[in-house]
Amino acid sequence: MQASLRRLGGSLLKSQQLGLIVVLAILGALLAGAAGSHVNALTGQRMNNFLNEYTLIQMATDASSFAIMGVGATIVIVAGGIDLSVGAVYALSGVGMALALRAAGPLPGWESVALGLGVCIGISLACGVLNAVMVIGLRVHPFIITLGTMWILRGLAFVVSHAESILVPTSLTNVAKARLGLGAELYPVPLLSMVAVMVLGQLYLSRTVAGRHVFAIGGNEQAARYSGLSLDRIKLGVYALSGLSAGIAAFLGASFYGSATSSDANGYELYVIAAAVVGGASLLGGKGSAVSATLGAILIVTFRQAIRTLHWDQNYEWIIIGTAMILAVVLDQSSTRLVARRLAARSRSSSSAAVPPPLPNASPADA
Amino acid sequence: MSSVSIVGVTKRFPGAAALTDVSFEIRSGSCHAICGENGAGKSTLGRIIAGLIQPDAGAIHLDGAPVHFDSPRDALAAGVAMVHQELAFCPNLTVGENLCLHALPRRAGFVDRTAVADQARQALERVGATIDPRREMQSLSIADQQLVQIAFGVAAGARVIVFDEPTSSLGVSESDALFTLVERLRERGITILYISHRMPEIHRLCDEITVLRDGRHVATSPAAALDDAALVRLMIGRAIDPESATPKPVPPAAEERIRLESLSRAGAFEDVSFSIRAGEVLGLAGLVGAGRSEIAQTLFGLAPATSGRVLVRGREARIRSAQDAIALGLGFVPEDRKLQGLVLCMPAGENATLPTVGRFARWGWLSPSREGRAIRGLFERLGVRASPYAQASALSGGNQQKLVMAKWLESGSEVLILDEPTRGVDVGAKAELHAWIAERAASGCAVLVISSELPELLSLSSRVVVLRGGRVAGELSRDAATQDAVLRLMTGVGEAAIGARAASPQYAERASH
Repeated sequence: MQASLRRLGGSLLKSQQLGLIVVLAILGALLAGAAGSHVNALTGQRMNNFLNEYTLIQMATDASSFAIMGVGATIVIVAGGIDLSVGAVYALSGVGMALALRAAGPLPGWESVALGLGVCIGISLACGVLNAVMVIGLRVHPFIITLGTMWILRGLAFVVSHAESILVPTSLTNVAKARLGLGAELYPVPLLSMVAVMVLGQLYLSRTVAGRHVFAIGGNEQAARYSGLSLDRIKLGVYALSGLSAGIAAFLGASFYGSATSSDANGYELYVIAAAVVGGASLLGGKGSAVSATLGAILIVTFRQAIRTLHWDQNYEWIIIGTAMILAVVLDQSSTRLVARRLAARSRSSSSAAVPPPLPNASPADA
Repeated sequence: MSSVSIVGVTKRFPGAAALTDVSFEIRSGSCHAICGENGAGKSTLGRIIAGLIQPDAGAIHLDGAPVHFDSPRDALAAGVAMVHQELAFCPNLTVGENLCLHALPRRAGFVDRTAVADQARQALERVGATIDPRREMQSLSIADQQLVQIAFGVAAGARVIVFDEPTSSLGVSESDALFTLVERLRERGITILYISHRMPEIHRLCDEITVLRDGRHVATSPAAALDDAALVRLMIGRAIDPESATPKPVPPAAEERIRLESLSRAGAFEDVSFSIRAGEVLGLAGLVGAGRSEIAQTLFGLAPATSGRVLVRGREARIRSAQDAIALGLGFVPEDRKLQGLVLCMPAGENATLPTVGRFARWGWLSPSREGRAIRGLFERLGVRASPYAQASALSGGNQQKLVMAKWLESGSEVLILDEPTRGVDVGAKAELHAWIAERAASGCAVLVISSELPELLSLSSRVVVLRGGRVAGELSRDAATQDAVLRLMTGVGEAAIGARAASPQYAERASH
């Protein structure tokens, strides 16, 4: 009984992501069919305009920054909060890293990577802690706090960089663009980082005490408090992690493209929240998954890619992404309801056996 | 006058009770009780009659003709209104605006405030209510909110009014006022459907009773033909032993677990002192607003005391948060399990281990198998009949309440504070919860029970402390704690009779010896 229930729970979890995977697969198949093909200049072979390793890895690279921050956003959203400042945190930590490396002068390769990563993570964590302290201390809704810090931190990035683009040492680019044995023009590091953050985020949410507390506080803050959970510590954790995710994305992005500017990741906060929500996170809190958020980010990037591959007017991008997001959430909700109904029917049929039959003499019903 | 016929009504629901082929008649002008355990489908039936939900099969007939309501508005147009347990209005609007919301009087396109207030005042007067129509809905007591609902129904010309467990959040005097009003409505020819599982009020108000069990119609019979025992048997399908919860005598040498010394919280309660020994169940009685829940919350660190002290196992304790309280071995089952007790969207099992989940982890890393074993043990000990993987929201009231209890069973709490531990749970689960409370006390816990149901409080407690207006009005031993004596202390009615000599502090002194 127990084992079968667990299997049921497991398969439900899978089915939630199965929906996203199925949509992605159908979309990919349609695109591959409609995309046509061309001859690769390097190898001389014919290849599909969509279904080829260059396009796919490029899409993964595009998706990685949304997905990495999307995992952070999911954690905040599951806890019942929201973080609009991740784009600004991205810009500030990227710019801060680039400035620190420029100030440090020429360093041996691994030292500049370590310094860059340290500065990036340090700044982003500090920004997350700042958000948390204000949300906790000022008792203002996180939407407003992080809307404020979004502008403050973005402004700070402009001020410290004088709105210049700052180059990042090539040793960082060598790491972010490491080919790891793949062919020319194939860079798997962003893809691998995305997968690593997804796995870590999923383990954090589903297998740690802190993750359990995040679900509890987002599901019912008062009940969490009545159970002796430290709300402040949990909130500090989730905003710090959200900031950290922006720092990781900024390190990868600045290293990959070789420079950082104060206008990097402008407007990304909305893509990131969209990724989390398309992945089934509930803005009411208490629901969400890192794997699904990553799939959500990939779905959004696939839509963007579809417009490029099919040579549609770029201006349709916003309309298509907006429509897709609303559709995804509506579909997810109706499938959740369907699952709940199926579960209810199951528990009814199993519990009815436990109810004693009515007494034979209890029948004034004929009266 | 209107008669209502329920004809073969069937309703299926995800995660909640369903109705299966329910048919019975409600005589015109009668007061008809619908009873059953929680989850029996009585509220669902009420909501179908009032048009909030639609049946999957079957129909409602009004005066012999089938009617179909797509919304409460349809039902109201046909003369059927419902009075809900919880707030059914916009809490941020005024009483007047809520009462006129369906057709706000307008002048030159703007809401005519004077007309709103006048219309509302008239509607309220018809049910004998003296509520200022300009007050915000959320500032009213639950009793007054109910009055506004009734006024709304009457003003709309309702000939049938459905009451859904109207007394579940009311104090004694408020309930009495409601009963009087229900009787008056009936004299005016309004047919009353009274959904409840409280025997005394059913017998006071109703002339016919329909019993539902597991969504099926069990019986419809004249109220006079069913005594309490027969009714309970119909509701749960078996007899229960009323003596099961009687507490065992506490050995006088038992260790004192918790002591309050003139504890006060400004605006909530003042100068409250009592103590509980291991194995003892102390009942805390009082009217709504007497400070019972407030004391519980302060003890559990949720609202700080302003003066006085608390001793746990003889040592002064600083309790400034729930974490502090839990570390000292306290456990708290709050009044409202859905708002304060459970994370409804989480699995049932994870709710049971919420305060203690760290025990199943090493370096913050959870061991699902160890937690699963603990959850199965808890479910077995408390008799939770549900899957640990089901969402807590899908469980019945009784099972949900057991989950909240399970939290403090696993934590090994030695002082249990139970605020309305059986509110809104069905009769069978109630007996189990009572037995569990007695069992916890027998195994050495000190238990503080708060309950608005006096018979429950008296049968559970080894001693009763009565509060009035935030102060201790008296302490009664088990033998002295009769319903009458407790009620006198709660309301202060007895003191006028005793005379001016018995001012409350002295009275408290005497009663405690």
